[in-house]
Amino acid sequence: MPLIRKPSPAAPDAVPARDPLAALRDGSPDERFAAARAAGGLPGGVPALAGALSREADPRVREAILTSLSRAGTPEAVAAILPHVHADDANLRAGTLDALRVVPGGLGPHLPGLLADPDPDVRLLACDLARGLPAGEAVALLVPILDADAEANVCAAAVEVLAEIAGPDALPALEACARRFPGDPFLPFAVRIAAGRIGARTPAPDE
Amino acid sequence: MSEAPPLTGEELRQLCEFLYRRTGMAFDEAKRYYVQRRVTERMGATGEGAFPAYFARLRADAGGEVEQLINAFTVNETYFYREDHQLRCLSRDILPERARAKAPGEAIRIWSVPCATGEEPYSIALWLLENWPEVDAYDVEIVGSDIDTRALEAAQAGLFGRRALMRLSPDLVERYFTPAGPERWRILDDLRESVRFTSVNLVEPASTGAHGRFDVVFCRNVLIYFDDASRRLAAENLYDALVPGGYICLGHTESMSRISPLFAVRRHADAIVYQRPREGSRD
Amino acid sequence: MTEGKPKRVLVVDDAALVRLYYRDALERAGYAVDEAMNGLEALEKLLVAPVDLLVVDVNMPQMDGFTFLRVLRRQDLPVASIPALVTTTEAGPQDRAAAREAGANFYLVKPVPQDVLTVYAGLLCGDAP
Ligand SMILES: C[S@@+](CC[C@H](N)C(=O)[O-])C[C@H]1O[C@@H](n2cnc3c(N)ncnc32)[C@H](O)[C@@H]1O
Repeated sequence: MPLIRKPSPAAPDAVPARDPLAALRDGSPDERFAAARAAGGLPGGVPALAGALSREADPRVREAILTSLSRAGTPEAVAAILPHVHADDANLRAGTLDALRVVPGGLGPHLPGLLADPDPDVRLLACDLARGLPAGEAVALLVPILDADAEANVCAAAVEVLAEIAGPDALPALEACARRFPGDPFLPFAVRIAAGRIGARTPAPDE
Repeated sequence: MSEAPPLTGEELRQLCEFLYRRTGMAFDEAKRYYVQRRVTERMGATGEGAFPAYFARLRADAGGEVEQLINAFTVNETYFYREDHQLRCLSRDILPERARAKAPGEAIRIWSVPCATGEEPYSIALWLLENWPEVDAYDVEIVGSDIDTRALEAAQAGLFGRRALMRLSPDLVERYFTPAGPERWRILDDLRESVRFTSVNLVEPASTGAHGRFDVVFCRNVLIYFDDASRRLAAENLYDALVPGGYICLGHTESMSRISPLFAVRRHADAIVYQRPREGSRD
Repeated sequence: MTEGKPKRVLVVDDAALVRLYYRDALERAGYAVDEAMNGLEALEKLLVAPVDLLVVDVNMPQMDGFTFLRVLRRQDLPVASIPALVTTTEAGPQDRAAAREAGANFYLVKPVPQDVLTVYAGLLCGDAP
């Protein structure tokens, strides 16, 4: 029988032999990857990961750092992730958003700040993060965007989420928002679809 | 019980978008009948008479409704030679490639996780004996792991009913199983002993890490049930459990594209699989 | 675009309403449209079924549009040279440079009017109006 059952003795070990916090700084990419995964649970791990995130250029190691920080989920860890939503590198921005989406307990307390960020691209990404909140809270954060945000693209991102979760109360704000940007070709389309869906979700008055 | 009314076009779209974002399963108007049947079933089971209320329950995942709905859309039962195109891919493309990367005497390691009651890892063993001409030239180690220890006991026992064997030809059943009572068959000891069973929790790095590194991981029909955070962690754990250049096979309704950017996607003749890049590769 | 098989377009954007908006415009102009919600899914779909044109957003989960184009362009396969129209909310000069470097053929700032989208699609598919 060529199929064997005993554990192969040479099964390589995934755990780095070195101190992870040191390996995180100057190991090979594989060592940094393993170190990033181990660091989250060590004393001093979160600040070490925060520093590594700012330096790290390898996208896979960055993923592992972001996973460890989001799993740690402490205010300190979230604070280390947040600034990278401004990154010039689209790849790091995407990774940052993905990590923020999976922070345990959600981003609740940070969202109002992100939705008021001076950078419209951050506000836009924040609308998408609001999808993770309970529907009522998300609606309460996103409807004011429709009323007041100066950027049509940010409003469009809010409409995208509201189309899925809002009730009929949000209809006037949606329609007013489309009127606020008369030259915009996309918003009227998006609002029409959103209104159609919300209407379809609204029980007839006699039910 | 009154039948739920048919979904409107918009309702169907909304539900399909939710499923698409949450699981990657893509349905549209063309599959209306298929979708409608499953939604009607779930609305009946939850006692929701109207789609809006059902959709609210689904979004809030009340009573684990997301898992229930996914269950309604997938086959939850495991059986021999399930998705055998991946097994074909294993013997035709993946193993020849992995074998070339091995030093003489170095074992090829394959992990079936989750293995449930054992049909999947035994299928791998059986398939290789039948379909990989080079099986005698290499040491192949097959490990089956699951979080459910009762399932592992059943796997270890190697007793199966007719449904589990339905995809095997009578000839294969005859050669690899012995009858063990009415509608029961026991897998041959040789085969039973070629798979090692262990317990594992896919979202626990220490637990997956204890298994060493593999050339091929079959991780089918479990990630689709996990939330984003657990999937991401499980994918990272599995990446860590692969040798550079090693492969992961997911279930046919699953895609790594929703889960993690760590892997490179590869198309072989028989299947789409995901690969841990070789060191220094730019993929 | 009235004769022969319709040209195929893959719309890559994480926003469902945006995909619907592009689909609406492209289908009315005679294209066959498929969708992906991030760069990884797009790569996977292209390995199975190549298309004639890509319409690609920049900020997306798992794999952004620029990384997607970079990975696509260095594949050793015919799909590597599919023309790509990048549509994005980021209007700065460094974004345009990044798009060019990643392998975009055109760069349009959102919101893109539907008729503008189909004109560019026609240009890149070689059947200008
Ligand atoms: C539907 S079965 C899949 C069996 C087989 N892979 C197949 O495709 O037929 C799902 C299995 O996942 C296991 N499972 C669920 N959560 C798990 C976890 N966190 N770690 C390991 N296994 C898990 C369950 O015990 C169950 O046996």
